[in-house]
Amino acid sequence: MSEKPHIVKSYEEQLQLLKDTIIKMGAGVEKQLEQSIQSATKKDLSLAEKTIKDDETIDRFEVNIEEQVVNLIALRQPMAIDLRETVVALKISSDLERIGDLAKNISKRLISVGVDLPTEIVKNLEIAGLKAAKQVNSVLNSYLHRDKAVAESVWNSDEEIDQITNVNMEAAVKHLEKNKSDIKKVTQLLFVLKNIERIGDHATNVAEQTYFLITGEYLEGDRPKA
Amino acid sequence: MNKITARDVNVFYGSKQALFDVSINIQEKEVTALIGPSGCGKSTFLRCMNRMNDVIDICRVEGSIKMDDLELNSNKLDVVRLRENVGMVFQKPNPFPKTIYENIAYGPTIHGLAQSKEEMDQIVETSLKKAALWNEVKDRLDEIGTGLSGGQQQRLCIARAISVSPEVILMDEPCSALDPIATAQIEELIDDLKKEHTIVIVTHSMSQAARVSQKTGFFHLGKLIEFGETEKIFKNPDNQQTQDYITGRFG
Ligand SMILES: Nc1ncnc2c1ncn2[C@@H]1O[C@H](COP(=O)(O)OP(=O)(O)OP(=O)(O)O)[C@@H](O)[C@H]1O
Ligand SMILES: [Mg+2]
Repeated sequence: MSEKPHIVKSYEEQLQLLKDTIIKMGAGVEKQLEQSIQSATKKDLSLAEKTIKDDETIDRFEVNIEEQVVNLIALRQPMAIDLRETVVALKISSDLERIGDLAKNISKRLISVGVDLPTEIVKNLEIAGLKAAKQVNSVLNSYLHRDKAVAESVWNSDEEIDQITNVNMEAAVKHLEKNKSDIKKVTQLLFVLKNIERIGDHATNVAEQTYFLITGEYLEGDRPKA
Repeated sequence: MNKITARDVNVFYGSKQALFDVSINIQEKEVTALIGPSGCGKSTFLRCMNRMNDVIDICRVEGSIKMDDLELNSNKLDVVRLRENVGMVFQKPNPFPKTIYENIAYGPTIHGLAQSKEEMDQIVETSLKKAALWNEVKDRLDEIGTGLSGGQQQRLCIARAISVSPEVILMDEPCSALDPIATAQIEELIDDLKKEHTIVIVTHSMSQAARVSQKTGFFHLGKLIEFGETEKIFKNPDNQQTQDYITGRFG
């Protein structure tokens, strides 16, 4: 980071705290996401329960970040890079909160269908879930290290999750055609797959915000869409 | 349209150089803010635009400063005419120790702008109205100007500056002695004045520069480091020094 520290130390500390809180919140969300997927792959619903419970912590992070941002704007009147830092934190925290919500929703659905699930669909769910978790992890790294190339690559690979999701949903529907009695389970799993795709979308939002934070410019062109 | 065009302006106080090759285009009917750390040359540059540096013996100005096509840095220039055309408002409100009326009438009188008492009354009223002071003082125009509050005195000085209908108004930290309400009134006034006047304002308040100006120039150690759209300067400046200064990272 080329930025010099602020002359006013407490201002510097407040901005640092804001960054740290984002990173902590991000780490929590990542864990939530992993646990929710693992509850299906490891057939361990206690992980899903834990994900649901952890969501309260994530929500509190969001409220805390919002308070920090409002304080910074009211009391410090941030400019230029500091203004982007402040505004972007607010937007990133709301995307992270949404990812947490989606992980919670995945967990609820998995609890409702139990652990006895079609193997092939669970396999696909794992592939998509790992991909989404990697996106979230990379984008948090790009935020932490102010790495715009990583933010760009996350932004560019959103398409992959979209494609994987399409393929997985088709496969799930095919499975259903052959196994009509699985209707309840598969319907829930379709939502789970869709949720993973939406998690990817939120990771992409975070990538856009991070890119803007670093460069002061918006990523050019339409978001890649499958 | 350019109102003032400065090219390679160098200013010296004795052997000490205060400005280095400053070139800038001040747009007509816009507010241009000049910012930068203390001693960077903002006031020196402002004074180049109405030849106020003339009154400082050891001061020498080199380079070209044009207002429209008129070269200001020329010994043939009619400085009295120039000052009629370029008004100035200072950091500390400095009304004359005369009545409110006389404070405004002073300029129009020496420049012979009114032919009758009625005309002068009209100029005084219009100037005070434009400076958003009329309602507060219309019933006490014969009271002494220095008896007004600080914010009112500053608006009186602005009224005095605009009484001769200058095309350009220079302001050197006009709000630094004012409370937030008086400051807001001056800022509102600046917004209004830019419809008819070109304004250059020096300010130490980054948020004020951001609020009132369309263009901002950042000076450092006598050099114009960055000049551009105010929005760009405060959102995403090109120069690292500019960013360090506006975000409070200097030194
Ligand atoms: N009358 C003077 N005689 C000698 N040196 C002067 C004079 N006026 C200004 N200077 C010098 O010129 C440089 C620029 O001063 P200037 O007043 O233009 O700075 P400024 O940016 O307006 O600062 P501030 O924000 O403190 O008002 C400084 O180094 C100052 O010491
Ligand atoms: Mg000054």
